[in-house]
Amino acid sequence: MFRTEEMDINMGPQHPSTHGVLRLKLTLDGEEIVDVRPIIGYLHRGVEKLCEHRTYPMIEPLTDRLDYVAAISENLGYCGAVEKLMGLQVPPRAQYIRVILAELQRIASHLLWLGTHALDLGAMTVYFYTFRERELILDLFEQFCGARLTYNSMRIGGLLEDVPAGWTDRVRHFLGLFPSRQKEYEDLLTVNRIWLGRTRGVGILKADDAVAMGASGPTLRGSGVDYDVRRAQPYSSYEQFEFDVPTGTNCDTYDRYLVRMEEMRQSCRIIRQALDRLPEGEVRAKVPKYIKPPVGEVYHVVESPRGEQGFYLVSKGGEMPYRMRFRSPSFVNLQALPMMCRGQLIADVVAVIGSIDIVLGDVDR
Amino acid sequence: MSDTRAHAAPALPSGLKDFLKTVLLLELWVGLWVTLKNQFRPHITVEYPKETVELSPRFRGVPRLRYHPDNGEELCIACHLCETVCPDDCIHIVSEKKPEGKGKRLVSFEINYERCCFCGLCVDPCPTKPLTAIYMSHDYEMADYKREGFVAPLKTLLDGMDPKDYKE
Ligand code: SF4
Ligand code: SF4
Repeated sequence: MFRTEEMDINMGPQHPSTHGVLRLKLTLDGEEIVDVRPIIGYLHRGVEKLCEHRTYPMIEPLTDRLDYVAAISENLGYCGAVEKLMGLQVPPRAQYIRVILAELQRIASHLLWLGTHALDLGAMTVYFYTFRERELILDLFEQFCGARLTYNSMRIGGLLEDVPAGWTDRVRHFLGLFPSRQKEYEDLLTVNRIWLGRTRGVGILKADDAVAMGASGPTLRGSGVDYDVRRAQPYSSYEQFEFDVPTGTNCDTYDRYLVRMEEMRQSCRIIRQALDRLPEGEVRAKVPKYIKPPVGEVYHVVESPRGEQGFYLVSKGGEMPYRMRFRSPSFVNLQALPMMCRGQLIADVVAVIGSIDIVLGDVDR
Repeated sequence: MSDTRAHAAPALPSGLKDFLKTVLLLELWVGLWVTLKNQFRPHITVEYPKETVELSPRFRGVPRLRYHPDNGEELCIACHLCETVCPDDCIHIVSEKKPEGKGKRLVSFEINYERCCFCGLCVDPCPTKPLTAIYMSHDYEMADYKREGFVAPLKTLLDGMDPKDYKE
C-alpha cells in the first residue's frame, strides 16, 4: 500500500554549512542517507597550471590561496619542496621560527574549525569565543609578516626577516592565555549532552576504511590510526620536539573533535619548546639571485592542520617548474564522506562535513 | 545500517551521582557559567569607520613609492626589478635615459591595484639604499566606484590616494 521512493536532493553549492562552494548530491530514503556524491570544482582556479608559468618565488603567493585557512603550512610545504630539490640547508633559527608559525597556524585553523563546526550544530556561542582567540594569533602573524590571511610569510631558503622585537614574548603571552580559554570551549562542548548527541556515533569511519581512502590528519587519527607526518617524516626539525599524537577510538565525529582539541594542546607544547630553545643566527640561507633548481623531481609532505599536504615538483632546470602538483588533504578526506554518511540521518551530514574540516580552496585548487 | 548510531550511543548513566548530574543538568550550568563570565570581559571589537585598530609596523597595505629623504625627488632608479618579480604583472614602468649623467629615470610608473595581491614580493629586490623605493604602505581604504580609480599613477603612488567622498 505504502511505497517509499528514493529522492535526490542537492545540498549546496551555496549552503551555509558546507563551508564554501561544495555541492553534495544526496540520495535520501526518507530522512536516511542512501548515498552522497560530492560534486566539486566550483572553486577551481587551475593553480597547478599557473605554477608552470611563474618563477619559483612567484609561486608562494599562490600557495597562500590553496588552503587559505592555513596558508603558513602551505608556504612551509612549498618552500620545503624547493629547498629539498636545491639541496638548501635552512638555518636552524629559521626552522624553529617556521615551526612556531606552523603550530600557531594549526591552532588558528582548528579554532576556525571548532567555531564553525559548533555553529553548524547549533552551538553558536563557541564561534565568538574561538574567533576572539584566533584574532590574537592573526595579530601575531600580522606583526611577523604583515598580512592576516594570505601571509606569503617565508622565502625559499628561510625567512625574509627575523621576528620583530618582543614578538616571542607576545607568543608566550598567548600561550599563557590559551589553555584557560580552551577549557572554556571544552566546558561548553565536551560534556554537553546536545553536543554528545549530535556527534557521538555519527559518521563512523573505520580505521581500515580511513587508510584505504587515503585519509590523513585528524580524520585519520580520529579513526585510531597513529600516523602523523611530523613524526613519520620529520621536516623543519620536528624531530627535535617532544609531542604526542592523539588518536581516537570510536572513529566518530566526537573522536575527531577530541583529537583536534588535543592537537591544539600539543601545538602549544611544541611552541613552548621551540621558544625555549630558539637558536640564534641567520634566518636565511645563501640563495642564488635567480632560483633555478637542478633537473629532477621531488615530493615533500608536511602535516597541515587538515592532514598530509604534499608538493610534487618537477624541474627541467629552468626558472619555472615543469610541473607542480599539490596533494591536498581536503580533497582526499572528502572522498571518505560518502562512506561516513551512508545510513545516517540528513542532519548528520552537516556534522560529518564539519568533522572532516575541508577547505574548498584546497579541494578544488 | 542505521544501527551504527544506536550501537555507539553514550552509555547510560549509572549510580546516584550520575543520576543527579543528569537531572540537575550540570553540564548545562557549566556552559552557562562560561557565557556569564564572558559578559564581563572588556569588548574587543571596534566600531570600524569611527575607530580603527592599530596596524603593526610590518602591515602590508597597498604598495607605494617613496621620495628621496634628502632631495625630495623620487627614490626609484627605474631598474624594473619590481616589475619583473611581481607575480600578477600589475606594475608597469616606462623609463628613459637620463639626459645628463648615467642611469635612467622614470617616465611613468603605474600599479594596478585591481590585480595586486599585496604579496610584498616587489619590495624584496628593490636595490635603493637605505630605504627601498617601493614599500608596502599602511593604506587599505581603497574602494572606488570606477575601475580606472585602481590604476595608480606615479603621483598617487608618491603622495597617496586622495581622500574619497563616497557619497556620490
Ligand atoms: S604586492 Fe605583489 S602583486 Fe602587488 S605590486 Fe607588489 S609584487 Fe605585485
Ligand atoms: S625595484 Fe625599486 S628602484 Fe627598481 S624600479 Fe622598482 S621601485 Fe624602482
